Amino acid sequence: MIEFNHKQQIVSDGSEQVQIKVVGLGGAGLNVIDRIVLDGGAQGADLVVMNTDVQSLTSSVASRKVQLGRDATRGLGAGGDPEIGSSAAEEAREDIRKALDGAGLIFLCVGLGGGTGSGGAPMVAAMAKESGALVVVIATMPFTFEGKRRSRQAEDALIPLQATADAVICFDNDVMGDAVAPKAGIHQAFAAADETISQCVRAVAGLFTQPGILHIGFDELCAALRPGAAGAGRCLFGYGEAEGDNRAHDALARALRNPLMDRGRMLDEAHNVLVNVAGGPDMTLNEVQTLMEALTKHTGDETQILFGAAVDPAMAGRMGVTLVSSTGIAAAMAGVETQFVPHVMPAPMPVHVPAVAVVATSGAIPEAEREEMAASVEPGEELTLEAEPAMTGAAAAEVSQTSLIDLSPLAAMPQTERPEPQPIQARMPRLPRQPRIMTAATDPQQTPLVPKKEEKQETLQFEPVTRGRFEKSEPTIVDGQDLDVPTFLRRNLKVS
Amino acid sequence: MARDHILVGLEIGTSKICVVVGDSKPDGSIKILGVGQAPSRGVRKGEIVDFDTAQKCVHEALVDAEEKSDVMIQSVYLGVTGAHIASFNNRGLVRIPEDQDEITEVDCDNVRLSAREVSIPSQNMFIHSILQHYYIDGQEGVLNPVGMMGNKLEADFHIIHGIGTRVKNAVRCVKEIPLEVEDVVFNPLAAAQVVLNQHQKNLGALAIDIGGGTTDYLMYVDGAVRQSGSLGIGGDHITNDISMGLRIPMARAEKLKIDEGSVTLGMALPGETVTLKDDSGFAGKEVERETLNTIIHMRMRETFDLLKRQLEAGGDLHLLGAGIFITGGTSLLRGIDHLAQEIFELPVHITHAQTMSGLTSAFENPQFSTAIGLIKYAQAVQMDRPSGWLSKFTQRLPIFGRKR
Repeated sequence: MIEFNHKQQIVSDGSEQVQIKVVGLGGAGLNVIDRIVLDGGAQGADLVVMNTDVQSLTSSVASRKVQLGRDATRGLGAGGDPEIGSSAAEEAREDIRKALDGAGLIFLCVGLGGGTGSGGAPMVAAMAKESGALVVVIATMPFTFEGKRRSRQAEDALIPLQATADAVICFDNDVMGDAVAPKAGIHQAFAAADETISQCVRAVAGLFTQPGILHIGFDELCAALRPGAAGAGRCLFGYGEAEGDNRAHDALARALRNPLMDRGRMLDEAHNVLVNVAGGPDMTLNEVQTLMEALTKHTGDETQILFGAAVDPAMAGRMGVTLVSSTGIAAAMAGVETQFVPHVMPAPMPVHVPAVAVVATSGAIPEAEREEMAASVEPGEELTLEAEPAMTGAAAAEVSQTSLIDLSPLAAMPQTERPEPQPIQARMPRLPRQPRIMTAATDPQQTPLVPKKEEKQETLQFEPVTRGRFEKSEPTIVDGQDLDVPTFLRRNLKVS
Repeated sequence: MARDHILVGLEIGTSKICVVVGDSKPDGSIKILGVGQAPSRGVRKGEIVDFDTAQKCVHEALVDAEEKSDVMIQSVYLGVTGAHIASFNNRGLVRIPEDQDEITEVDCDNVRLSAREVSIPSQNMFIHSILQHYYIDGQEGVLNPVGMMGNKLEADFHIIHGIGTRVKNAVRCVKEIPLEVEDVVFNPLAAAQVVLNQHQKNLGALAIDIGGGTTDYLMYVDGAVRQSGSLGIGGDHITNDISMGLRIPMARAEKLKIDEGSVTLGMALPGETVTLKDDSGFAGKEVERETLNTIIHMRMRETFDLLKRQLEAGGDLHLLGAGIFITGGTSLLRGIDHLAQEIFELPVHITHAQTMSGLTSAFENPQFSTAIGLIKYAQAVQMDRPSGWLSKFTQRLPIFGRKR
């Protein structure tokens, strides 16, 4: 890890770029940061942890640590009380400010429901905002079994966060827990949650620091996270990568298999879906089309698809898909969210991207993939992988890629592009100076002529659909679904 | 015909054919004399698909019933179901001529006919038109208008109709045995007569009969039938799902469902397995219990969700004061009441035919609710018919409507 940070240091000294900071607040946030480090870090990002509990701070592997509430808690935790958490953060105001200073984009990872996270997050988010950075809050809601009180504290903390942050990605621990086999231990459930968030942070950070052929910007991210018409919703996130002849399908299937995707079922309710496709130079238009067609079967007729694509030689022979969406955040917050969205700038995006930069576009992806593919690999091994560029095959390519990434898109970004410490609206004037190359991508956005649900059935089944006993009888069709086909098949549930 | 007090209900079900022989006592009680049944073949989703095979099974069941009850069966009340059966509510109106003093029975018949003057698909026939309420000159709550004065007689009816040929197929199947069919009754209407009592009907109750091939429902609100219908999903679907999901034969899947299946998730120990025994009793394939339960759960949840959506469309779900009463063979599935309770958010009871005497084993089995209900229905109709006027009691019971 030290090596990793070292590298960042050199890079940031040598180039003008938007500084990304990933802040982990409270115990849960700290776990996420540790997980990000173990997974290979987020390129170009400084990792900061803030906690009241000195013990966990000491054991954290993050480069920068801020102790909250030196007097208020005297190095102990906040004891699940948001008020203590809040006063602890208040006490460390200066330290926090220092830690956040100079960042253009801040990810705040926080587990809501406890003391430090729920109490401190609104303040830290506000300070991050004051520093002029774009703020993306990645919040996890507690498991139901943690009790109603924690849920309430989490809800209470979420409301101010929705108001301050530019985007809030809200993960529901319960949903993530569902993804873990029932016989898995509780630590596995929490680990799965951390892993998903870490994947999300790295993928999202990668999304709008690296330019692509069709670039995904911050505005697209916000749009994807914008609440839908339905009431309370949740964040959908999925990442998948595959190789071989059927890689387009497989990559999408893997992305949809992510616990937060609910096997693509939830996509149906989503208003906006952000899709970023990355692949090697051998990725064909046909494959992208296949993939997008397969995806549109999961989305509703009204869904807007925000499409991005990137070519990365390191991805030769493979394809990766990142999906980000939301089924809508609580209606009460809808106003707040929509209010800021129009003002949000696309991530700084030079039109003439140097070749290296394009190469680097999907830099986040090899890492995410590595995490997915080698989930069982010991953290230590992964770190060696990172440190030794003299690896063989794809892994080597990925690693060398990581170093390129640091130089490329951010380097191309003039210093003035860094968001000023002003309200969001102040960033508006940058818009004309930054012609976006999204125009090409707007077409796929506006033409999600999604096939009807009936067709969904037929094409989704990779195995021939059998109706078993009801083969010869008149099908029971309700709402376009053939109810004679087992429910678990129609819902793509894997059994036995 | 009817005076002999022996009433026979015949239900041609998807999984079994069931004949119940009952003795109707003058005081209105019914004594079950015998129950005959035969496994059903050639029936899918409550409808006959293989005429000859089905007929053989009906015959078997009848012979069985005759043996057990020691009664020669001459005529039956036939239960029908199937997803083709639909229903709606409609109001009929007749104007009473100026020179007529009081409302007569003829007017009551006319109002019923006028309620039927709606367009149903041409191949459909009326199965029932069930009286809900009378109104005289707009005045509500008239129980029996005969003999009252008024200018305008209106009545709300719940009308049940289905595809004519399919209903007639079932009738023909019985008639060719040969056996007289006294009446055709929509299954849930029959079942509701025995699983719900008058008090529950008044409070508002929903009877759900989950059988082998169909899930039939009938809702009473304020003592009158408000909604009814049939969904082509039943226990067979669960068995089929299990069979396909676990790749085991249907017969094995059926046994597994009955012996081990549950709709409740999360109750199985992690990694707990069920060993499938083959016919010779040797241990065969092992199946993870949670997988089995997940398959069942998914299907039942979907079925209840669909049902809830259909019922919500009618907008009467909040009027169910007594709650939901589930009967039929599939109601024996473990945990089904909890799932229904979770989805409908109403009190749910697993129930069987009530207020009967005779064979306890028969009426306490929810599988026989419909067949026993047919007798109860028959009794109510017969008490109504010879008397020639609508007593307060029978008026509340559904009256068989004439076929066109």
